[in-house]
Amino acid sequence: MTTTTIHPITENLIPSTINNVATENALNLLSAMTFPTRKSEDWKYTRINKIIKKEYIQKDASGEINTKDFIEESLNAINVFVINGHYSTELSDANKNDGLVLEKITIDNINYNSLASNQTNIFTTLNTAYANNGLSISVQKNTKIKQPIHIIHVNTISNVIANPRTLIVLEQSSELEVIQSYYAPTIEDTFTNSVTEVLVSENAKFTLTKIENEGANSSIIATDDIKQLNDSTLRVNTFTKRQEFARNGINVSVDGQNCATYLNGAYSPIKKEHIDNHTRVDHLQPNCMSSEIYKGVLNDKSVGVFNGKVIVHVDAQKIEAYQKNNNVLISDTATMNAKPELEIFADDVKCSHGTTTGQFDEEAIFYLQARGISKDTAKMMLVEAFMDEVYNEIENDNLRNSIKK
Amino acid sequence: MSNTIIKIKNLSASIEGKEILKGVNLEVKAGEVHAIMGPNGSGKSTLSSVLAGRDEYEITGGSVEFLGKDLLEYDPEERAWLGLFLAFQYPVEIAGVSNMNFLKTALHEKSKYLNEDPISAKDFLKRVKEKAALVELDDKLKNRSVNEGFSGGEKKRNEIFQMAMLEPILAILDETDSGLDIDALKVVSNGVNTLKNKDNAIIVITHYQRLLDYITPDFVHVLADGKIVKTGDKNLALELEEKGYDWV
Ligand SMILES: Nc1ncnc2c1ncn2[C@@H]1O[C@H](COP(=O)(O)OP(=O)(O)OP(=O)(O)O)[C@@H](O)[C@H]1O
Ligand SMILES: [Mg+2]
Repeated sequence: MTTTTIHPITENLIPSTINNVATENALNLLSAMTFPTRKSEDWKYTRINKIIKKEYIQKDASGEINTKDFIEESLNAINVFVINGHYSTELSDANKNDGLVLEKITIDNINYNSLASNQTNIFTTLNTAYANNGLSISVQKNTKIKQPIHIIHVNTISNVIANPRTLIVLEQSSELEVIQSYYAPTIEDTFTNSVTEVLVSENAKFTLTKIENEGANSSIIATDDIKQLNDSTLRVNTFTKRQEFARNGINVSVDGQNCATYLNGAYSPIKKEHIDNHTRVDHLQPNCMSSEIYKGVLNDKSVGVFNGKVIVHVDAQKIEAYQKNNNVLISDTATMNAKPELEIFADDVKCSHGTTTGQFDEEAIFYLQARGISKDTAKMMLVEAFMDEVYNEIENDNLRNSIKK
Repeated sequence: MSNTIIKIKNLSASIEGKEILKGVNLEVKAGEVHAIMGPNGSGKSTLSSVLAGRDEYEITGGSVEFLGKDLLEYDPEERAWLGLFLAFQYPVEIAGVSNMNFLKTALHEKSKYLNEDPISAKDFLKRVKEKAALVELDDKLKNRSVNEGFSGGEKKRNEIFQMAMLEPILAILDETDSGLDIDALKVVSNGVNTLKNKDNAIIVITHYQRLLDYITPDFVHVLADGKIVKTGDKNLALELEEKGYDWV
């Protein structure tokens, strides 16, 4: 039996023209799916009613923006602009690197939609159904791209729904660093539903750093569906700055041996911000290592969620999986919901996970005060000291400095 | 030598409803060294914490005048800026905050409060070098996180190093001598004596007469059960060493 569901959120939206088959499938799936409620385990602590019960408008890349406002010069990056979810070739820098291709995703792109979690995540399906002008980045075999790519997402009008779609393919023994940042300055009630598919081929090395900073009235759901092959290294860093609502879903399928996977994140929500980080690492093959460090400092009435799932499949022997989530609540009204989940079906594995949620060390604050450091500065110093472990996971010094600012 | 630095009048304080200080009176003038001795649990550290501004304690009576100001009205950091320094009996370890960054921040905030020019990077390094030498603080320790992984003795040295950096008008040393070996005791005492001048003052809290061989007190007080029960000169310390506290 199939049921057809009408979702208000999709009202008025024009479907994707990237790949008609993919779009058709997604639309069909969508009409049979329902949005998760808090009854579903994966969304237990994150209510999305406010986001999905609204009607949004789509907008093309024609919005007026001053690109300079968003470019971080110190990164010396190839700046790529995605406006209201649309990759804008016009605003983006020309690529001068051999072996690197930046283009719109087209029907010829065989990797498109091959990794996306359409079946299991309605937001991915939504993106596949309505994404337009997706961005495709590919690095050829044996090519190390030294210059990072900075993908700058900007929403330009209130009530816009942006469905940015990014496809990143690293061929064998290639290397690439991508930074995705998200902004929605001076506007309200925007919803960014971002999906990024990444294939990290044999012996390739990929780093993705996400900076979410859309402001006090914007929501983002960012889903990364990533696949790693033999001997590859993946790093994903997620930094959530001012953002009313964020739900980050990182799904890594480690389908090769001798892989290393690092997932790190930091969040420091204030007011009523709600920051949810879900990670899932599937170890499908033996001899791999994965490590996760997520840290949060929560103020006011903010809410944090961390759910880290590591699944070590049968035959994936000699896996080392480490996971850590530490939080500090700096107000009595902030809450943190942390849940590490290990599912191990192999017998020769080394796993550890720990989560802590606590308050600031009052003794340390008093000690600093007694030396002439004001209480606010003292707290700031302790926050920085606490967060440094995550910041130090950023290998690019310029990027680390710009994020810490 | 008649400028009053601190005047504690009938100070009472309690924690969790339990009265710890029961009317402390003490006046310290510029150029003086006062020693406070007394049995465990008598309230010595409580007195220093209350003076430094720890807010867990409830002040139930009395007053404290510091350089003519109502000390109890100020936040802990303001008290530090005004020139009060407490060397902690148990210095706190603060992971991830470097000793240098910590001191630089402290000095900068102080000059901001006093409307003075901040110390230049060059002068800061010069001062660090000079003051670290004074207490023979190991070079490696300067760059580590505040007290993290320091030995007991190293922590105490670090307290005096900080005191030297901050140049307080009144320093309260809460059992800075405990845990120091005899050589360290000499070094630390020598540091304190070098910092001592006619315009500042020191209160040393100690259990041992031996410290007072190096830092000579003008007055020795006995604090027992939350009150100063006896005051004398340095000979009182010798007497206490011999007879214990029972006779006072
Ligand atoms: N946070 C607290 N909660 C409850 N009681 C406390 C607290 N802090 C101190 N006290 C009590 O106050 C009394 C005085 O303690 P304080 O540390 O001032 O003694 P002291 O004279 O410094 O002793 P010592 O010589 O052992 O250092 C003790 O009985 C102690 O148990
Ligand atoms: Mg004590």
